[in-house]
Amino acid sequence: MTPTLIARDLRKDYPMNGETVHALRGVSLRVDSGDYAAIVGPSGSGKSTLLQLLGGIDTPTAGAVELSGTRLDALSDRELTRLRLTRLGFVFQRFHLLPVLTARENVELPMAEAGVRGPERRVRARELLDYVGLAQRENHRATQLSGGEMQRVAIARALANRPAVVLADEPTGELDAATGREILDLFLRLNRDGTTLVVVTHDDRLAAEAGRVIHMLDGAIRD
Amino acid sequence: MTGAAWAVKRLARQPLRTGLSLAGIAVAAAMLLDMVMLSGGIDRSFSDLLLGRGYQMRLTPKGTLPFDTEATIRGASAIVAALRREPALEAAGAVLGTSLYARRGDSLITLFAYGLQPEAQSLYQLQAGRDLASGAGAGVLLSEPAARLLGAGIGDTLTLVGRLDPQVVTAAAGRRLVVRGMVRWLYDYRGQPSVGMVLSDLQRLSSSPAEDRASMIVVKARQDSAVPGLVTALRRRFPSVEVSSVADLVATFHERLVYFRQLSYILGSMSLIVTVLLIATLLTIAVGERLGEIATLRAIGVSRRTVVGQVLAEGTALTIVGGGLGIGLGLATARYLDAILTSFPGLPAAFSFFVPRAGALAFAALVLLLTGSLAGLYPAWLAARTPIAATLRAEAT
Repeated sequence: MTPTLIARDLRKDYPMNGETVHALRGVSLRVDSGDYAAIVGPSGSGKSTLLQLLGGIDTPTAGAVELSGTRLDALSDRELTRLRLTRLGFVFQRFHLLPVLTARENVELPMAEAGVRGPERRVRARELLDYVGLAQRENHRATQLSGGEMQRVAIARALANRPAVVLADEPTGELDAATGREILDLFLRLNRDGTTLVVVTHDDRLAAEAGRVIHMLDGAIRD
Repeated sequence: MTGAAWAVKRLARQPLRTGLSLAGIAVAAAMLLDMVMLSGGIDRSFSDLLLGRGYQMRLTPKGTLPFDTEATIRGASAIVAALRREPALEAAGAVLGTSLYARRGDSLITLFAYGLQPEAQSLYQLQAGRDLASGAGAGVLLSEPAARLLGAGIGDTLTLVGRLDPQVVTAAAGRRLVVRGMVRWLYDYRGQPSVGMVLSDLQRLSSSPAEDRASMIVVKARQDSAVPGLVTALRRRFPSVEVSSVADLVATFHERLVYFRQLSYILGSMSLIVTVLLIATLLTIAVGERLGEIATLRAIGVSRRTVVGQVLAEGTALTIVGGGLGIGLGLATARYLDAILTSFPGLPAAFSFFVPRAGALAFAALVLLLTGSLAGLYPAWLAARTPIAATLRAEAT
């Protein structure tokens, strides 16, 4: 298997009330192309911090992240932003869709930023909305969608630029059990269709369905 | 979706806040526009007024401006004759301005009278009836307020008297004149009852024996470009009178109104500052409320440049819409203020303080657009430096 994402001895310290909090204490992992990895652990174990470092949203205090052979710490802020746009997909617990845009416009947004021409991105956005089962809701504003629908639009948005890895932080955390189930099914289908997934979750069902589970405790992986 | 459309959608999401901000920007823009019109409008209006009949030069008693005092030029006909012989000059005419009285029943009505030479008149526009003609005496022209006050119309005969003795209220000289036409006097203040007649008639009515004097001599050059040289030449030739070009008079007027103009600059600057503060405040609040959204955009790979562009686009959209409303409001306000200011006694009714000029409108719009767009710089800077990870963590809790 080709390693898509590699973390080497990641450490992350935060200053808090005059003291240093060690959020990550030397985490190393490897995610291969086509993997479906779930990162689980109690609150404060460093799951979300790890995901942010893997996604180049935050920088580690020590250690390094490689995405498809590119070290993130070697990139400028502009290059890192471009890499997040074109090589990574993000799904957040609270969806974070732009409320003033329609479902299709939200999906088109990363493609527009990447310079994809209008007609091409509209076709791709429709395909993705169809893929997540929301073809009929493309012209609805984000505020007119249910929680599950918003998360499906967020997943379509994450896939817009054909990323190497999709990183999801508690994607079912804001959803009821039935709606969460739909999202889990969608993730399974995505992975079967070849998408590499790294998901931070408290959801036992999601962890059970992932191909690989990474347990975290006190800022370290405990396998 | 374009940045502008996105900006408009965002603004429409908070209609009350956006509406109030637009109202504030419109008021500030209206004030800016009015001040820009005021700062250059007075000079322009004065110049247009003086050049209304194409006479570029004025000869007045030494040390005075036209109709500034009751002083007169003696030997006016000789000066006019000399001027008319100048090949570079197209026309010259003397004007006398003085008070006259019209007898109506047992009472006398005070009027202002212009005596002029019909072949070279620079003071009125004929609105009805016939004009005065050289050599055709016994005619008089009335302004609308004078006609109303006297209850007279074209074809009526008026008895006008001059040199009133205030002690006994008797007139030393009187004359019956037929109303030939109705005119609009260019330099009359609002409601001023004025009459006009041939210069020699007024000279006879105002002094005995008739004195060859004039309040002012107006001169028209054949070419505008020759005026500065002609002014110099006329000053040498007629040292006993004041020779001024319209440009000289506008410059004098300009100096007299320097405080007015400074006031307009200060108020205009204040309106710009208010606009900047309004837009900056609105956008700073909006950015503060949208930090999570901005952090998300940055996380999914939207560049700082795009984020900054979005905030600036919102500032620009506010400025364009608010400024557009401000133009309408500014023009309406200017019209209202102009009506108040030009009703002050002593000011020509045709004079305008607020002159809408394409250049002024374009300048005000450009300055407003630039400052309004720049007002978004601070909130845009805040948006650009939003810490992605910390903001997303805060949003998740």
